[in-house]
Amino acid sequence: MSESIKSVKETKMENVFECEYEDGTTRLCTKNLAPGYSVYGERLIKYNGIEYREWNAFRSKLAGAILKGLKENPVKKGVKVLYLGAASGTTPSHVSDIVEKEGKVYGVEFSPRVVRELILVAQRRPNLFPILADARFPQSYMPLIENVDVLYVDIAQPDQTDIAIYNAKIFLKEGGSLLLAIKARSIDVTKNPEEIFKEEASKLERSNFDVKQVINLDPYDKDHAMVLARFKG
Amino acid sequence: MMKLYLVEHAIGTFAFDEDGKLVDYVLNPKDIGKLVEILLNHEKGEPFPSTLELISKLKPEEVVVENEAEIPKLKVKASATLNHKAAKMFRSSLVKFALDSKFASSEGELYSFLYQLSFEYTRRKLRTAAQKRDLLAIQAVRAMDDIDKSINLFSERLREWYSLHFPELDKLVEDHETYAKIVSTFGYRDNITLEGLKSINIDEKQAKKILDAASKSIGADISEDDINSIKQLSNAILSLYNIRNSLSDYVESVMKEVAPNITALVGANLGARLLSLAGSLEEFAKMPASTIQVLGAEKALFRALRSGGRPPKHGVIFQFPAIHSSPRWQRGKIARALAAKLAIAARVDNYSGRFIGDQLVEQLNKRIEEIKTKYAQPPPRKPQPQAPKQKNFKKGGGGGKKNKGKKGKR
Repeated sequence: MSESIKSVKETKMENVFECEYEDGTTRLCTKNLAPGYSVYGERLIKYNGIEYREWNAFRSKLAGAILKGLKENPVKKGVKVLYLGAASGTTPSHVSDIVEKEGKVYGVEFSPRVVRELILVAQRRPNLFPILADARFPQSYMPLIENVDVLYVDIAQPDQTDIAIYNAKIFLKEGGSLLLAIKARSIDVTKNPEEIFKEEASKLERSNFDVKQVINLDPYDKDHAMVLARFKG
Repeated sequence: MMKLYLVEHAIGTFAFDEDGKLVDYVLNPKDIGKLVEILLNHEKGEPFPSTLELISKLKPEEVVVENEAEIPKLKVKASATLNHKAAKMFRSSLVKFALDSKFASSEGELYSFLYQLSFEYTRRKLRTAAQKRDLLAIQAVRAMDDIDKSINLFSERLREWYSLHFPELDKLVEDHETYAKIVSTFGYRDNITLEGLKSINIDEKQAKKILDAASKSIGADISEDDINSIKQLSNAILSLYNIRNSLSDYVESVMKEVAPNITALVGANLGARLLSLAGSLEEFAKMPASTIQVLGAEKALFRALRSGGRPPKHGVIFQFPAIHSSPRWQRGKIARALAAKLAIAARVDNYSGRFIGDQLVEQLNKRIEEIKTKYAQPPPRKPQPQAPKQKNFKKGGGGGKKNKGKKGKR
């Protein structure tokens, strides 16, 4: 908190900012929707009367993907997001920052232990809807949500791509985007990660997705990739 | 009638014909507690009551739903298709349907409803996973009390100690946390700067006073060693504040999980305190409202019983804002109303876990409003103040009490 900020600038992506410290290091950050509250111990930055939250790329795969050259971030102001695998709310909190009040984030998470923390985060964010449910059974949360512009999937399960496709068919708008975080090690430990990324990407292609980009998240996350795809409906 | 496509959403059940035209709909209750119940049953394969109502109203030959499990309970010829055309259309223009059906009058209202609903629904599901978590909240709130005591104790010591060096600061800064922060950040009074004071959230006027006092201080000069020991103590105080804050967040999350209704009524802190006095949620749930009303004022209650004096009007529930901020003669009535609602809340929390907090709060507020208007003026003084035995209270059970009620302090 004490370190002074040289500047905070919006990046090419809407509502994603970059701050520069006095010592020349730069970090991603987002405008804090719940001023005064830090979600996972990240630094809060005041600049020109606006509070920003530092976005740690080692903790959040979306930040990692942005730093590794994500071409286009479908998570924008006012957008509706279905977030599968919301966990304790680290990345969802930043997504909630980016979409602002006009946007909505439906955060689905299966483990009660982490939902407890997710609820605490959601408490201060009226655009983040916490839902304790299994993403394999969308029927259970169907009555609570609507169709969305972006499907964000980060659920470290062997069948995660199928779960993503299944949910996309129900909830993703035509032309909507999918951000799929692939953890190679939870799909098959024995195979080469790059191979797995390719396989999962082609699985998407076969299910009516246009795969735009596959980003290896190294060094932020080992053996992880982020896939950006467009849903053709 | 023909074949109907049904879409079940939290806002209600909507029926479409084969061309995707809206035929009719039945809205769900706006009561969040009831709706959560409906959703939880829906997951187990129970159709929405609104669905059944719609079917009996329209008497279709055949329906298509999305949830296979509910087919046998629909009592008509039915089949299930996930994400059928009508469902897709409904979900892509949810806002429009909600507004057209007058479920909500604005987009903002719809979303704040859905937000509360998903929150409540998730909490209810969490609750089933929670066991004996009330005991955790109780211990945490007790720990918070211990920490408060320690903070006070240490802060008194710190003030005495640091005053050897900078006596004027004691009077200038009332808040213990701010005081400790100043000591920790600056140490020697000569190190205090305007910028530094501002960075720990002291306003300019106050900061200038402190600076002024520092430059003219009559305190003794002390060595590096001395100041370091003092700093250690003040650092300990600051870390106690940190623990206290995180405990308070923790208590809040646990309380919302194990006792959502109590929490809705009086907040997490006071709720946990009540549980702590009762011993557990279960024991609290078994208490009559009259006991709840004076929980925490046992000493005053038993004194009153022994001497035949006036019983206390409230125990810890005195901390409830509507009680301590109200005029004296209204407090007893409000305390009674609150205790009654708490008794209901506790029983629901312990035995069913349904969320009825909204209604309870609403009813309580209504009652408080009533008390405020009905008893706006202080009652006339009773003629003989010292007479211990009085029989004829006329209206509303002891409306004319004077200022003798003992505040229940813990």
